[in-house]
Amino acid sequence: MTALRRLDSRLVIFVLIAAFVLVIVVYPLVQVLLRSLLVDGSWSWRNYEAVFGRPRNYIALWNSVWVSLAATAVATVIGTLTAFVVQRTDVPFKTVLRFMLILPFAIPPLFAAMGWVQLAGPVGLLTQTWKSLTGAATAPWSIYGAGGIIFVLGITKYPFVFITVAGALQRMDASLEEAARTAGAGTGRIMRDITLPLVRPAILGGALLAFVSCIDNFGIPAVLGLRVQFQVLTTRIYEALTIPDLPLATAMSMLLVLLAGIAVWAMGKFEGRRGEHQIIGGKSIRPHIIRLRRARPWVGLALFAVAFVIVVLPLFALLVTALQPYYGAPLNLETITTRNFEAVLNSSAAQRGIRNSLTLAPIAATILVVVTALLAYLNVKAKVRGAKLLDGIGMMPFALPGSVIGVGMILAWSNPPIGPSLYGTLWIMLVAYLMRYMAYGLRSCRASLMQIHDSLEEAASTSGANRLRTMRDVTLPLMRPGMIAAWVLIFISAYHELTVSALIWSARNETVGVWIFVMQDSGFAGRASALAVAILPIILVMFMITQWLSADRSAI
Amino acid sequence: MGVTIQVEGLTKRFGSMTAVDAIDFAMEEHEFFSLVGPSGCGKTTTLRCVAGLETADAGRIGIKGTTVYDSSERVDVPTHERSIGMVFQNYAVWPHMSVYHNIAYPLRLKSAGKADQQQRVGHVLAMLGMQQLGERKPSQLSGGQQQRVALGRALVGEPDVLLLDEPLSNLDAKLREHMRVELKRIQRETGIPILYVTHDQLEALAMSDRIAVMNEGRIHQVASPIDIYERPATKFVLDFIGSVNYLPGEVASATGETVTLRVAGGATLTLPRPGFVPESREVLLAVRPEDMVLGQSVTGSDLHAKVELRSFLGNLCEYRLRYQGHELRVQTEKDELVPEGSDVVVGVRRGYLLEATAAQDPMARVS
Repeated sequence: MTALRRLDSRLVIFVLIAAFVLVIVVYPLVQVLLRSLLVDGSWSWRNYEAVFGRPRNYIALWNSVWVSLAATAVATVIGTLTAFVVQRTDVPFKTVLRFMLILPFAIPPLFAAMGWVQLAGPVGLLTQTWKSLTGAATAPWSIYGAGGIIFVLGITKYPFVFITVAGALQRMDASLEEAARTAGAGTGRIMRDITLPLVRPAILGGALLAFVSCIDNFGIPAVLGLRVQFQVLTTRIYEALTIPDLPLATAMSMLLVLLAGIAVWAMGKFEGRRGEHQIIGGKSIRPHIIRLRRARPWVGLALFAVAFVIVVLPLFALLVTALQPYYGAPLNLETITTRNFEAVLNSSAAQRGIRNSLTLAPIAATILVVVTALLAYLNVKAKVRGAKLLDGIGMMPFALPGSVIGVGMILAWSNPPIGPSLYGTLWIMLVAYLMRYMAYGLRSCRASLMQIHDSLEEAASTSGANRLRTMRDVTLPLMRPGMIAAWVLIFISAYHELTVSALIWSARNETVGVWIFVMQDSGFAGRASALAVAILPIILVMFMITQWLSADRSAI
Repeated sequence: MGVTIQVEGLTKRFGSMTAVDAIDFAMEEHEFFSLVGPSGCGKTTTLRCVAGLETADAGRIGIKGTTVYDSSERVDVPTHERSIGMVFQNYAVWPHMSVYHNIAYPLRLKSAGKADQQQRVGHVLAMLGMQQLGERKPSQLSGGQQQRVALGRALVGEPDVLLLDEPLSNLDAKLREHMRVELKRIQRETGIPILYVTHDQLEALAMSDRIAVMNEGRIHQVASPIDIYERPATKFVLDFIGSVNYLPGEVASATGETVTLRVAGGATLTLPRPGFVPESREVLLAVRPEDMVLGQSVTGSDLHAKVELRSFLGNLCEYRLRYQGHELRVQTEKDELVPEGSDVVVGVRRGYLLEATAAQDPMARVS
C-alpha cells in the first residue's frame, strides 16, 4: 500500500514536470522546425531556398560563423592567459583580479557595445584623444563593422574560458607536475609537456561555450553592425521580423540551430574523450605557484590594465555619456548634467520597462527553480525513468540561440491551439524566459544534488525519517545554496535579456533591455546610457551575491 | 537467548549479477556479529537489505521477531519504520546540523520532549567523550570525531540492532585501533547487538563474537574468531583470514598421531595428523607462517631452504625463503634471528591438508 502511494505522488510530479517541459521547450521548437518546412500547408524547401537565394541572407550566415570563430579565438587567448597568471603565479591582489576578470559575465553585452561606441566611435573619448594627440583627421580604427564586433564579443565572452581553465588548474593534482619536476623538467617544460595538455580539454570546452554565446548574441552586432550594413544571422532575423517575413526568419533560425548544434556535438565529443583526463581529480592539493620575482609588480600592473580596459573603461564611458548634454560633447565638469537621467526616468516607457523586468525576472526565476529542483531530484535521487531524458530536453535551450527562441515564441504563442494568444502581452516574455533559462536552473540544482552523497539521505531514513521528512530536513537544506545561486543567476540574466525580448516585445510591454536598445538605436545615446547606468547597480549587487554564494559553497 | 536478526534465503541481484545468493544466518541477542569478505562479496548489500536501503529479490529478514521483509508474504517494511541504527562508511554526518542536532535527530522524529532529548543526547555525548563539542558543526570536527557523532546518532534512539558499514576504514591506523576497542566497550556497556561489515579480517577477528566469511554472494563459514582462524571450513576462508603457504606433495604414511608427507622437491615432513587426511595420495599442504620453525635441529623434516629476505616487524621477524622454486613466508620470534643468504632447515609444527585438485577451488574442504 505505502509503496503504491509513494509511487503515485512521484508519478504525479513527474507527469506535471514532463508537461511543463513539453509545453515550454518542445512545443516551440517543433513549431520552428515544422514551419520552416511548410509553405502554404505543404512540405517545401522554399523557405531555405529563400535564405540562399539572396546574398544578404547567406552572407549573414557566413558572417555569423567567421565573426564568432574570430571572437572565440580572442576570448580563448585572453581567458587562458589571464587564468594561468591568476591561478598559477604569485601575482598580487589575486582576489580582486579574479573578481574583476569574471565581471564581464554580469555586464550586459549591449552595455559593452554602447560603451565601446562611446569610447572608440567617430566622436568617442579615445578617438578624440587620439586625434588631439596626433593631429590626424580620423582614427586609424573603426568600432563599427566586423573588427569592432569581434573585439567587443571577444572581451565580453572570455570569462567562459577563464572560469573553465581556472577551475581545471585549481583541481589539477600538484603531484603530476611535481613528478615532472623530479624527472628533471624546468617550469617552462612542465607547462608545455604536462600542464597545458592536461588543461586542454578545459580550454576547448570554454572556447565552445564562448562560441555558442557569440553566435547567440544580438546586442553587440546590432549596435556595431547594423549602421554599416554588416549583418549576422541574429540581426538579420531581427530585420526579417520587422518586415515582417516570418517564414524567412524561421528558416534562418533553423540555420542558427544547426550552427549551435555543430558546436554542441563537438563539445559532446570532448566530454566523451575527457575520460582519459580523469586524473584531474577532486583533491585540493595546492599546485605549485610560479614566483614572478622582479616581474611580479609588472605582471600585476599589466593584468590590472587589461581588467581596466575590459571592465572599467566601457562602464565609465556609459557614465560619462549619461552625464553629458549631448553625445560627443566636450568633456568637462561644467557641462555635466542630469538631464538624461531625468528625461529617461520620467518617461512612462522606461518606467514600464523597469517595472516589467522587475516583475518578469523574479517570477521566471522562482518558477524555474521550483520546477528544475523537482526535476533534478527525480533524475539524480529518485532515479525515475524518463527524468534523465526530460533533463536532457530541458538543457537544450542552453545551446539554443535566443533568436530561435524568439521566433519559436511567435510561432507557438501567437495563435496557440488552446487558450488566448500570448503575443502582444507580457506573458510571452515570461514563457520565453522560462524556456531560455531552464538549463541554468537544471545545471545548478543537478550539481548541488550530486554533491549530496546518498548516504546523507539514507542516514535520515535509518534514523526513522520518512521520504518527506528526509527531503525537508536533509535534502532541501543541503540543496538550498545551489537553488539560491540558480535563482540569482536567472534573475540577472532575465532582468537585462535582449536577444529574445527584442523579437517579441510590443508597445506597452517593454522590458528594460529592449528600451535601452530602442533608445540607442534611435540615436538617444545619452538617455540609453542613463537608463543603463541606472539599472547596473542591481545587476552588480546580484552578481556579487552569486560570487559570495559560490565561495561559501566551496567552503562546505 | 532470543534472536536479533534472522536472515533466510536472502537473494539480491543487480541485473544479471547475483550479489547475494540465498544466504542464511541468525544473530543472537547482545552479539557482535561480523560479515567479512573481499570487496564485491555481497556483505554490504546484505547489510543494506537488512536496513531496507536495498530491496531483496527473495528470502526473509526478521528483526527481533518482526518480519521486516518476506518475498513470499510480500512484506517490505520501509527503512524508517525498522528499529535500526546505522553508521555509514563515510559517516554521513549532516553538514548543516550541529553535533547536538545530528545526534538528537532520531529523537526529534519520535517527538521526544525537549528535556528528554537533552538528557539522552547528553548521555550519549558523555559516553563518546564529546561533552564539549555539542555546538560544533561537523566541518569543525576531525574524521574520528565525525565517526563518533555518526555512532551517537545511531545509538541514541536505542534501536534493536546497530548496523555498521565499514565504519573504521576511513580512519588512520592508530585511530582505527583505538576505535576498535571503543566500539567493543560501547557494545558491552549498552548490550546492543551489532551487525558489522568489514573487509579487514584483523578487525573482524579482534571485535566479533562470531564472524560470517563471505565470498561471491555466499557465506563460507559462520563461527567464532578462534574457530574461523584455527579451523577454516574452506580454502577461501583459509586464504582470506590470515596468510598461508602452499606446497604440493603426497602422503607417504599416516599413523594415528602423525602424517608424513613427501613434498615437491623430495623432502619429507612429519606433522601432527590433522582432522582428516584426503583419500587421494596427491595433496596440497597449507601452513600458516607462524606454524613454521627455522633451525638446524628440526626433527621430522629435511626441507632445506635458503633465506632470501628478512623483515624485522618489531614483535616478530618475517622471512621469505626459497625452496625448489616455491616461496615460503615464515614468521618467527625475533630472538632466533637467521641471517639473509643462509641455508636453513624448515620444520612444520602443524598444517592443513587439501585435495591436490583444490588449488583453484575456493570452496574446497580444509582438513
